[in-house]
Amino acid sequence: MPTKVAIIGVGHTAFRATSPGLSYKELMFEAATRAYEDAGLDARSEIDSFLTCSEDLAEGTSIFDEYVPDQIGGAERPVYTVSGDTIQGLATAYMQIASGIVDVVSVEAHSKASNVVTPGELHAFALDPIFVRPLGFNAHAMAGLEASAYLATTSTTREQCAHVVAKNRRNALANPSAAHAAAIDPQDVLSSPPAFAPLTELEVSAPADGALVIVLASEERAKKLKRQPVWLRGIGWSTGSGITSGTDGSSADYARSAAEMAYRMAGIGDPRQGIDFAEVDDSYSYKEPQHLEALGLFGPGRAGAATADGATARDGDLPVNVSGGSLGVGQLFEASGGQKVAEVVAQLRGEAGPRQLKKAKTGLAQSWRGIPTATGAVVVLSRD
Amino acid sequence: MGSSEQIDRVTDLRAWPGEFPVSHLYTMGIAGERFFRELKDNGRFLGSRCAACDHVYLPPSIFCPRCFAALDEWKEVGPQGTVRAVTTAHRGVDGTTLKTPETLALIQLDGADDLLTHRIKESEGLEIGARVAPVLKETPEREGSILDVRYFRAV
Ligand SMILES: [Zn+2]
Repeated sequence: MPTKVAIIGVGHTAFRATSPGLSYKELMFEAATRAYEDAGLDARSEIDSFLTCSEDLAEGTSIFDEYVPDQIGGAERPVYTVSGDTIQGLATAYMQIASGIVDVVSVEAHSKASNVVTPGELHAFALDPIFVRPLGFNAHAMAGLEASAYLATTSTTREQCAHVVAKNRRNALANPSAAHAAAIDPQDVLSSPPAFAPLTELEVSAPADGALVIVLASEERAKKLKRQPVWLRGIGWSTGSGITSGTDGSSADYARSAAEMAYRMAGIGDPRQGIDFAEVDDSYSYKEPQHLEALGLFGPGRAGAATADGATARDGDLPVNVSGGSLGVGQLFEASGGQKVAEVVAQLRGEAGPRQLKKAKTGLAQSWRGIPTATGAVVVLSRD
Repeated sequence: MGSSEQIDRVTDLRAWPGEFPVSHLYTMGIAGERFFRELKDNGRFLGSRCAACDHVYLPPSIFCPRCFAALDEWKEVGPQGTVRAVTTAHRGVDGTTLKTPETLALIQLDGADDLLTHRIKESEGLEIGARVAPVLKETPEREGSILDVRYFRAV
């Protein structure tokens, strides 16, 4: 049996398109204050280790690790940065606890996207510098390429992808922390200006600012705290060679292999039986069905039609991105996966307010690190 | 709020501007030298092959990510190929709307098992499965860069 580790506290700011009144340190401080209050722990004496998930270039500061301890309670304590998504940070926290060297770990992630004056240049800088970047195009076009291959390979339609956007932005209406809630219909998505065909402007998630902190603890420690623990049943992560490796260009193999690792640890044979609801990466419209299929929650090419039929709606058979997802809440750099984890925890605790699901015993959160990466992570959480 | 105070006048808000004045060199390496010298001197595309995996890498590589073997078998691929993915970008790198949208494709050059990213021109209504050929710069203009291929077009 894998070592049991629980999430015992979650705190986050609201996610908003801009946050001109607060510095990133102040956003982090707010999230950390909320998380430690939620966990019932003292920041300076009851947390053994601290992690931040961030990329230097997105922060505008090299060796960003040096700028994170103070505002999360980690000064003169064990701290480092994971340059990956929040769920990769959770995996690191799990390992620290399972190794026995610490009992309680704080994992932080944030986005101050509105401070990036030239986001297109930042994004383009992630493209292969020799073979791709010299072509000088907007990096979102790589998603347009992948979308075209995914639609062609699976017979998923643009209308089905438009349903994903309308569903998630409407779901966000019930999430007061979401930056991009909107009462839109699939037709609005299809008739929005073309961006990276086949993707329209509304099919590309827009950035948002905010911070979140997730506190994890060993089983022994978790059982002594006031909070009902949410158990980390399985976690997995994977990086592939990218969409230009091989001749398909359409499958999210990183999500498949990350899920296999998480399901193995959680002892889940049929994910559709074992998972009640999911928060999956929806950075672009087509990513949600593509990821649902890679996660084994729908058969190949089936998730788009299921979405149009309402199977992934809040009252559907498998609710997906009830929080609003990245399309509704906002694209949050390395906090994107963390926002999904926070939603899964809220649902499992029965604290999701107007968007609370009736059946929420086991939930899944999945992240993707965006274009041009083939990196994904999956975590399975449950109430017992 | 985590703090008990808030700024409540927008005119009080300040931010300090900064930028990265950082430049890099990206070493081509053994495989990159081979690829770009062949493209520059002879206008041909060179992949590398792993016999064990029966996979032809493009761009070429001196190692196989599938079986981790060192690779030393070079194979000419293309110049024609098949479109496996296609997009039309209506926005440029700075996010503004392009006056002339640009088309990009993932192209499987004949004989290669990977996809090359490049521009498409002079090919109205190009779809997945279309056959394309490269339009190269003239030999004296080529400098050993992916831009030695001006674009691909339908054949
Ligand atoms: Zn091989």
